[in-house]
Amino acid sequence: MQLGFYIDQSRCTGCYTCTVACKDWHDIPAGPVNWRWVVTVEDGKYPKVFVAFLSLSCLHCAEPSCMSVCPVDAISKRQEDGIVVVDQEACLGKEACGQCKEACPYVAPQFSADDGAKIQMCHLCVDRWQEGKKPVCVEACPMWALDAGPLEELEAKYGKVKEVEGFKFVEKNRPSVVLKAREPELLGYP
Amino acid sequence: MDKTKIITTSCSHDCGGRCMLKVHVHDGKIVRMETDDGEEPQFRACLRGRAYRQRVYSSDRLRFPLKRVGPRGEGQFEKISWDEALDAVARELIRVRDTYGNASILLLGGSGSQAALHSAGAVERLLAKFDGYTRTWGTPSFEGALFASMATYGTMMTGNAREDLLHSQLIIMWGWNPAVTIWDTNTAFTLVKAKEKGIKIISIDPRLTESTAVFATEWIPIRPGTDTAMFVAMAYVIIKRGFQNQQFLDKYTVGFDKFRDYVMGVEDGISKTPEWAEKITGVPRATIERLAIEYATSKPAALIPGWGPARGARGEQFSRAACTVAAITGNIGVEGGYAGGFMRAFHSRQMGMPRGARNPVEEGTPPRPNSLYRLRGAAKPTSARIHSEKIYDAILRGKAGGYPCDPRLAYIVASNFLCSHPNTNRGIEAFKSLEFIVVHEQRMTPTAKFADILLPVNTFMEREDVISPWLGSPYYLYMDKAIDSMYESKSDRDICDELALRLGITDYREGRTDGEWLKIIAERTGDIPDFEDFKKRGVVKLKVDKLFVAFKEQIEDPVGHPFPTLSGKIEIYCEHLAEMDNPSIPPVAKYLQAPEGYGDALSQKYPLQLLTTHHKPATHTTMEKIPWLDEVEPRRVWINTKDAETRGICDGDGVLIFNDRGKVLMRADVTERIMPGVVNIGHGGWFDVDELGVDRGGCSNTLTSSEHSPGGAWSTNTVLVEVRRI
Repeated sequence: MQLGFYIDQSRCTGCYTCTVACKDWHDIPAGPVNWRWVVTVEDGKYPKVFVAFLSLSCLHCAEPSCMSVCPVDAISKRQEDGIVVVDQEACLGKEACGQCKEACPYVAPQFSADDGAKIQMCHLCVDRWQEGKKPVCVEACPMWALDAGPLEELEAKYGKVKEVEGFKFVEKNRPSVVLKAREPELLGYP
Repeated sequence: MDKTKIITTSCSHDCGGRCMLKVHVHDGKIVRMETDDGEEPQFRACLRGRAYRQRVYSSDRLRFPLKRVGPRGEGQFEKISWDEALDAVARELIRVRDTYGNASILLLGGSGSQAALHSAGAVERLLAKFDGYTRTWGTPSFEGALFASMATYGTMMTGNAREDLLHSQLIIMWGWNPAVTIWDTNTAFTLVKAKEKGIKIISIDPRLTESTAVFATEWIPIRPGTDTAMFVAMAYVIIKRGFQNQQFLDKYTVGFDKFRDYVMGVEDGISKTPEWAEKITGVPRATIERLAIEYATSKPAALIPGWGPARGARGEQFSRAACTVAAITGNIGVEGGYAGGFMRAFHSRQMGMPRGARNPVEEGTPPRPNSLYRLRGAAKPTSARIHSEKIYDAILRGKAGGYPCDPRLAYIVASNFLCSHPNTNRGIEAFKSLEFIVVHEQRMTPTAKFADILLPVNTFMEREDVISPWLGSPYYLYMDKAIDSMYESKSDRDICDELALRLGITDYREGRTDGEWLKIIAERTGDIPDFEDFKKRGVVKLKVDKLFVAFKEQIEDPVGHPFPTLSGKIEIYCEHLAEMDNPSIPPVAKYLQAPEGYGDALSQKYPLQLLTTHHKPATHTTMEKIPWLDEVEPRRVWINTKDAETRGICDGDGVLIFNDRGKVLMRADVTERIMPGVVNIGHGGWFDVDELGVDRGGCSNTLTSSEHSPGGAWSTNTVLVEVRRI
């Protein structure tokens, strides 16, 4: 079984509630570490402008590049649910290594500004699944634009869209995600 | 070690949303938060609520009572005891009252806590019992919209239930960004549902906001302050084509003919055609024509005029004109329509303390000129109050300047006043001239630095309260106490209670504990039969049989249910306004040029129109300087690519935004999301002036004007500036 995320770009207002809720729940200080972040897509020329938002995190790929490049097996994929988890003890740190961050097409592995900072990233709130709860970002979203669950179930419920403005599906990694696009029409004077 | 407890509460700051926070408390400390995961509708908190832990534990929390030791405003204080602090405040209150009279005591509150029990109201009650004080009128958020609502409909209860938007054929968001300015929790969610249902949503706004980006299929940028011209031209198109709902106008309104005479040019020889409006608004004539036809022929249609455009010079006309076109198209009192106006939909927001002692300073005073004093339901229209934009001028000029008093002492509570009122530099001059300033605060704000005595207040996490949303969605939240008061902080009410004894007032709490008051407040709503159950669950979500639609009764039974106006009808022409005989608030809605508006001569010197809109992470200034929030959207000035190019400005450059009132230094956000000729700074900020007189704290009010309109509309979206790369 593979757990994954559903991200509805057509609903995301770029409010960052997911980002802040994640930082609060996992006690991550302000700074460069964001297990979940929001991308703003802006395109076109005034007054025909396209704007959309996209909430992203580690997408727990079927074939994670971060895992395959890690020289010390600090990144692994859980058998039972496909969550990609990290072992900070084993990690060599961003200065000594940092290859995972380079390898990930979504730059999901995160390192703090501290010397010798070790890898950290979204683990799909593995702590919450055990209590029967969805990830904190999913339960935080005021637009109900996020969901998480077994990827097959998400695909059955939401469809199989894998690419939207601002997000490219990388075939060799196969991120565990389905999305819904903001219709790419341009706003402005017709 | 204790087990983790989960406490239910809600933010109580000056935000239109009221959302559930489930606070995890461990060993007396807040460790993390969740939000509503109960039955629908869920009231999920936004980023500001989710970051609240960092505010409670921020390093600038005030720990002890403080006494000023350096020059006022420099922020040099020494720690004193509560007894010393309260004695000093009591002494000054008594001295100022005995020397100058009660009217010289100025209460400055608002934009902070707004719960039913703990708010600026705590000090209002104290000062009323102390024989009175001078207070402000002119609420920053909505005074223009409120004035229009009263003049047209005689009430502020003019909104429909949010879910009623799903009955519309067309939704027009006019200067309305509920994805950021939360207009009751779940308003944005309802709009996305409307979009998913296939309802057409059009946004009219100088900026391509988050709401526009996500909900709208069309963006019509418009020059700030010119919206009324577009409404008037839409009316022209509708009338010219005979699309007005004449039956509705005949039956429910007065004065359509007078408005028509203005629109068609009978009154002044100028036909308010789309060509006429195009020159003013910058909106192509064909777009105006098309929107007018679409609005008049989509039945029903909801045109929602935000409070933002009414927060500019002649803002009353914006809201009046919006109500007028709603009447012309008959979109009032029907499902899926929308009346505009103040837009409160349900009485939940009226939850509060019973009216306390009257303010003796206001007793027997004549009504304020230009007030709708013959109508009831808005704030008391007394001439004893000072408009909130004019406080600094009143402090500096007093009675000689035409104000009702000579202020000597400022009592500031639940307000970072200097950052949230226009012309901050003049505010500093004014605050320096006062004899005494006492401030109740939670953190060392730029305003708190001006205190002579600074009293530490606890946050809503440290006390109990009850709260409801701004515009009256049908629910109530109980705010349970999560942790004990931090350091030596107290609630505003505890401070006032102890101060009262020193002022010879023995009945401040009127014989009841705060807990008993909460029960009374909750029960007075009539919606909360079981207070203990409310307290336990933390929320009452009312099951409403029929979605509230403003004026449904008036439309279905006009004889039995007249409108609460003087005529009993919708006043397109308002006799009460006619009596005022003031060309800036005419009896029918008109497009009026305003000082610093589009086309003003000052634009030769300062060619850019400045908007000061709500900043997503800030809640005015309450959530300013919170690391988790500051980093998601740092304060930047929005400037269009073209305007940036002509000034040699690149994205991220440091720029100076300036006019005769002040200078602000911040980074530029060069974007296509704002129309050329317009720049935008999120309002609020944290005034931080350097030795050259430049604000580096992103305080937009360094630049804003205090020239409010006669009806009270604030002028903070009618500002001219220039921007220069540094």
